[in-house]
Amino acid sequence: MSKMTRRSFTQSIALSLPAFAGLGRTAAAQTPQKVQIGLLVPLSGIYARPGTVMRMGAEMGIADVNAGGGIKSLGGAQLELVVLDCGDTTEKAKNAAQRMVAEYPNLVAASGSYLSSFTLAVTEVTERASLPLLTLSYSDLITERGFRHVFQTSATAGAQAEMALPTILRLAETASGRRPRTVAIITDNTAASIASTKAMKERLLAQHGLEMVVDETFTPPLADATPLVQRLRARRPDLFFFLPTVISDAKLMLEKMAEFNLRIPTISFGIAIAEPDVLNTVNPRLLNGVMSAVANWGTKGQEELIERLRRTHGEPWMTQNAISTYGDIWILQGALEKAGRADRQGVSEALRTLDGGPARYFPGGEIRFDEKGRRVGAGLTIIQWQNGVPVTVFPDNLALARPAWPTT
Amino acid sequence: MATLRSLTPLFVLALLYLGVSLLVQNSYYQLMLTLVLVWACFGLSWNVLSGMTGLISFGHASFFGLGAYTTVLLANQFNVSPWLSLPLATLIGAAAGLIIGLPTFRLRGHYFALSMLAYPLAMLYVFEWLGYQEVTLPLKRENAWAYMQFDDHRAYVMIALVMLLVMALLTRWVERTRFGMALIAIKQNEAAAEAAGIDTLRWKLRAIALSGAMAGATGSFYAVVLLVVTPASVFGMLVSAQALTVTMFGGVGTVWGPIIGAAFLIPVGEILHAEFGARFPGIQGVIFGMAIIVVILLAPEGVFWRVRDWLRVRHWWRARPGGASPPASAPAAAHAEPTHANVVSFARLRPVSDEAILEVRHLSKSFGGLKAVHDVSFKVRRGMLLGIIGPNGAGKTTLFNLLNGFLTPDRGEVLLRGVDMGGKAPHVLCQAGVGRTFQIMRPFRRMSVADNVKVGAYVRAGSEAEAERLAAEAIARVGLSAIADRPASGLTTKELRLMELARALAGQPEMLLLDETLAGLGRQEVEEVLDTIRGIADEGVTIVIIEHTMHAMVKLVDEFVVLDHGAVLVEGRPDAVTRDPKVIGAYLGKKWSAHAQR
Repeated sequence: MSKMTRRSFTQSIALSLPAFAGLGRTAAAQTPQKVQIGLLVPLSGIYARPGTVMRMGAEMGIADVNAGGGIKSLGGAQLELVVLDCGDTTEKAKNAAQRMVAEYPNLVAASGSYLSSFTLAVTEVTERASLPLLTLSYSDLITERGFRHVFQTSATAGAQAEMALPTILRLAETASGRRPRTVAIITDNTAASIASTKAMKERLLAQHGLEMVVDETFTPPLADATPLVQRLRARRPDLFFFLPTVISDAKLMLEKMAEFNLRIPTISFGIAIAEPDVLNTVNPRLLNGVMSAVANWGTKGQEELIERLRRTHGEPWMTQNAISTYGDIWILQGALEKAGRADRQGVSEALRTLDGGPARYFPGGEIRFDEKGRRVGAGLTIIQWQNGVPVTVFPDNLALARPAWPTT
Repeated sequence: MATLRSLTPLFVLALLYLGVSLLVQNSYYQLMLTLVLVWACFGLSWNVLSGMTGLISFGHASFFGLGAYTTVLLANQFNVSPWLSLPLATLIGAAAGLIIGLPTFRLRGHYFALSMLAYPLAMLYVFEWLGYQEVTLPLKRENAWAYMQFDDHRAYVMIALVMLLVMALLTRWVERTRFGMALIAIKQNEAAAEAAGIDTLRWKLRAIALSGAMAGATGSFYAVVLLVVTPASVFGMLVSAQALTVTMFGGVGTVWGPIIGAAFLIPVGEILHAEFGARFPGIQGVIFGMAIIVVILLAPEGVFWRVRDWLRVRHWWRARPGGASPPASAPAAAHAEPTHANVVSFARLRPVSDEAILEVRHLSKSFGGLKAVHDVSFKVRRGMLLGIIGPNGAGKTTLFNLLNGFLTPDRGEVLLRGVDMGGKAPHVLCQAGVGRTFQIMRPFRRMSVADNVKVGAYVRAGSEAEAERLAAEAIARVGLSAIADRPASGLTTKELRLMELARALAGQPEMLLLDETLAGLGRQEVEEVLDTIRGIADEGVTIVIIEHTMHAMVKLVDEFVVLDHGAVLVEGRPDAVTRDPKVIGAYLGKKWSAHAQR
């Protein structure tokens, strides 16, 4: 193995150095029928796992589009996926984006890059290169910079917070017959978590007549959740908003809550708490009943896709990463059909003016983008851990199961 | 002139680099070309502090991050162009250097390194808490160049190249002046540097301010290149480590180190990532880490020094085909003659004035319950050669350190020309005209004999030229002129003793404190060193010398102070002292007294 690695290592250096000096290697020759789409996601480092799942979604999407006859307005041209690793830091993501636009001049569009900070850095590059990029990242900032070539398929963090609260309150009222009055918020200090709770803390809680009785921010990783759980126990809120990014933090918190026999309806934001590898560390019994508001999830009507993902890739359920990236490919298919030409300007223009009707692979709204590049009417789904699987329980038309409200 | 000549390769390389970058069309390679320069700049900044003073900083991301955030926040919130915020970031970096340096320089070694690590980690959380998790540099579509934004990425390479040249010139300037000499002296031996009259704290503060300024400027430019600044990307552990990695790989303490390191590591790391990242995720980190480990094992001080040492050895073998040992140093003619004639038992008398240049009154120092020096009083008259002797543990070295400022007395006074100097810092005493040598020799090993001595001359010299003149004179006085260009690491014990003497003499002291200068020398060597000391005394320098063997001293000194158990046992002329029954009983033994009377 070491021999192999060494040879390919030296080879790649030998290949890359002249290119580095600008001497050799022009862009790989293209067959005209192939239309290249980039996927810039983390494939190494601590975010490799979600990145890999995004690649599964993209590959399934490409296969389905090609199987359906490719891009008809381009004479049935087939799609080709170009995968690049954006690493685990903002700098690596930025460098990878530069490499993507420099070395693949034939790319017509791309999808990426999981973490909002990566997407922010990556789009600074793709915008300058006029390469349209679809993203599932939440940060409002991504589409607030006046960029023309960035398209956000998820509801932004701010919009999600706005939507999530009334939804959850309604869910609580129907399920428990009582309107919650007090809430606790415990969040880590990552950008996404802070953004998700900001609007709630500043005005949404007050708007809905809720009182915040616990407000704690911690820096991951947690060493001990006892002090946090003690606060919960002392104040006994009706709702507990819990926003971890690191699974070990979620585990510590849920274990401590079980230890103190504290049964408070727990709601998270985002997918961290519902990734399959959560089960590697956390007992499914602890997770039972935990809910999360996410921008996308496997829903009713996608049973065949979910099954295919399980069969071919061994993924136990369809997360946002898989379904949104799968959906991105179909959005690009629509844009390419509309543009009728395989270049980035054409695809970007088509995306801006696209009207693809009701969204199939995203909750709520349509396949249409507003002037900022946000998907019009983007909604969210509420998922809940039930019997070791996080399933969509809201909205009703997409729900795969009925919500269960924990009773104290 | 020499500085300019030594920079020729730098300018040639810069021109070549510029040429290559102008040819490159691919924006990704242009970015890599820029990043190589950015990390080389950051390495240079680290080098000015840690490479030159030897105080390892694990926290250079502090200055880098402050520079980056200065630029990105001013651009994001107040629409200030990086052209303006870059100089500001430089100033902020320098100020941060002073603020961090002032408390942290109280620590040494590992403690310094570890506490430096704490600053960027703390700042990382502060910036997260302030809500600056992701700050972007706003995209400018009109007049982009006024905001340091260019469609043609070669502009970034050029800006970075100019920054690197400026920083390399600065480093070179530091290396070639007393600034660099002071820093290297501190690195090799902080105590010796203090004793040579260097105000070590002030030079260290200057170094960290300059280093912080360079890091601040680099961080500011990095923000322009990165476009999105997150606390982890500028304050993170990896950022601080990057400065260490490129410098230690390339070579510590030289302007070339960070340049070599960055030029190799950054492209290789990136190529590995690009080629393997998607296929064998993580393998690039393994290969990269192993490459660094191999280099550190083979070239612990960096590639530059390894190659230079190798070239020097080859050069040396060519120049000396016979491999003959270097010529032995010839003592200066003035002191050479009396060597063998002078075998009389006692020192000849030299004119000694009645004026006390140094007066010690009731000096005491305890360590816990141990009274190392107890109520010691004596006078040193101008022009005399005084020997302080006593058996091991008599308190000689403690007394000595009280005289030269390395220890503060509990009680009593050390009056230098009537002014109490008790507890003053060593470099203050040096400036006041008191030079010293060390019992355990403390040479600056990588420096030549001439440079070693030159460090001692700065306390009196107003200019480089004067320092060189004073150093040359001092070297001649001890008879080392023939080997002035040799590095100190290759000297014999005797030559090192003489070089230390020359370093003390270069500061033109009125009084010299010599600590066991004869230790570890053979009989013939002792004679040579004694001649040199005698010659210096004959020129009117007052000398206090500590020895534990009386043997050689009786031929040298005008008077003895004999210590025993921390107190003065006897003082007086050598002939009287050696006959004193108390001295004989406490220290010399009967055999000696019989010998002395014969």
